[in-house]
Amino acid sequence: MISVSSAQHRSWIPFATVFVALVLLVIPAPELIRGFLPDWVSLVLIYWALALPDRMRLPLAWGVGLVIDLVVLGIPGVHALSKTLLVYLAKHLSLRVRAYPLWQQSVVIALLLGIELILFVIVDFAVTGNMDEVHRWTAVIVGGLVWPLVYFALRRSRHLANLGR
Amino acid sequence: MVKSRDGVVRSLGPYLLLSAVLMAAYLYLPSVRTVAQSAAVIGIPVHFLASLPSTALKGMQGHLTTADQLRSDFEAMRQRNLILQARLHRFEFLENENARLRELLSAMPSEAEQVTLAALLAVNPDPAALAVMINKGSADGIFQGQPVVDSGGLVGQVTKPSLFFSKVSLITQEDQAVPAQVARSGLRTVVYGSGSGRLLRVPYLDRNADVRAGDLLVTSGLGGRYPPGYPVARITAVERNLAEAFMTITAEAASHLGRDREVLLLWLPAKEATALQDPMETEEDDD
Repeated sequence: MISVSSAQHRSWIPFATVFVALVLLVIPAPELIRGFLPDWVSLVLIYWALALPDRMRLPLAWGVGLVIDLVVLGIPGVHALSKTLLVYLAKHLSLRVRAYPLWQQSVVIALLLGIELILFVIVDFAVTGNMDEVHRWTAVIVGGLVWPLVYFALRRSRHLANLGR
Repeated sequence: MVKSRDGVVRSLGPYLLLSAVLMAAYLYLPSVRTVAQSAAVIGIPVHFLASLPSTALKGMQGHLTTADQLRSDFEAMRQRNLILQARLHRFEFLENENARLRELLSAMPSEAEQVTLAALLAVNPDPAALAVMINKGSADGIFQGQPVVDSGGLVGQVTKPSLFFSKVSLITQEDQAVPAQVARSGLRTVVYGSGSGRLLRVPYLDRNADVRAGDLLVTSGLGGRYPPGYPVARITAVERNLAEAFMTITAEAASHLGRDREVLLLWLPAKEATALQDPMETEEDDD
């Protein structure tokens, strides 16, 4: 959806960050920390929705969600739906949230991730009948806590990509 | 307010509808499922990159082992092989005896099971790690519901086959149930996943039932999904409470639950499912 693709604007970089997040999502982690790892793709999508709300279109979010569904062999549509809602909310809050100090942003991000999780659990329960994902609420809090790291890393990538606000 | 609500419906509505249609189509139309299985090949580069660190780590371990270690490993394996060989001879004898007895009972002979070896992908498809990925898919004839075992016992079943890789749900998942029996007493029950770690639940055993800590639970073959005789779990604790009708039993999975490098996929002989019905028992086993 990012149409500008001159040498100045490296618009493939946001896509690359999403891809890296996707790899991080399925990477096997030690058992001890496994349950606490946040959904990296959600964090990256939130960042781009906050930073470039006009370019982060909903079809893109839906497509990314569908790719997740295919990569983890889930039921296609479940992640797609939750990621679309997440990006929609982040886009609407973008002007306000960008003015917040970082710690306050963390709280909002955790709330967004929580809303996404609730929707995901409801849809997943309706479709498959199990509620395993409920146990993931710790990952929501950790997601808020690591937000500053994600923020700085992705801001760096945005400057590299030369994509202004 | 009304206007903004309209805006929400207009912007999110199409995606809601699209997702719902997609989910319904996937659940009810086999052709859509096939398409989704093939489309899942786009996950292969992601899986490859995600598995690189653990593959590299394993490779490094290979380089770092000393010749002494290798020699001692080799010696241990040789000894183990000898023991297994001896056991195999006994097994062959038992198999012959079993076939003879079955003939006497004029029951259907149980055919040898067909197996395929699959390697585990170092990919974690499930945040709670109650599922693993294997490198065989529907292109290799893998089907949904196929039993998966490893050297320790029953691992789980294939829940999502795609073209070149598949997702295996472990028996420890909360919604998994395995018809089993106590190896020592033959008592039948159903083993449920606990949803965390290696623990399993055995909820519906009468408080007078003959079960002890240390008992091995093996698949009973009822239900026709899992072949009989594979170890499922070892009972770790039995708690009898006089106030309740059932015992509180905790068990630990017998298999390595996807921590091995390889697993075996089993093909049930077509007749097995019917031949299994014990003529002496007519009770229904619901799982």
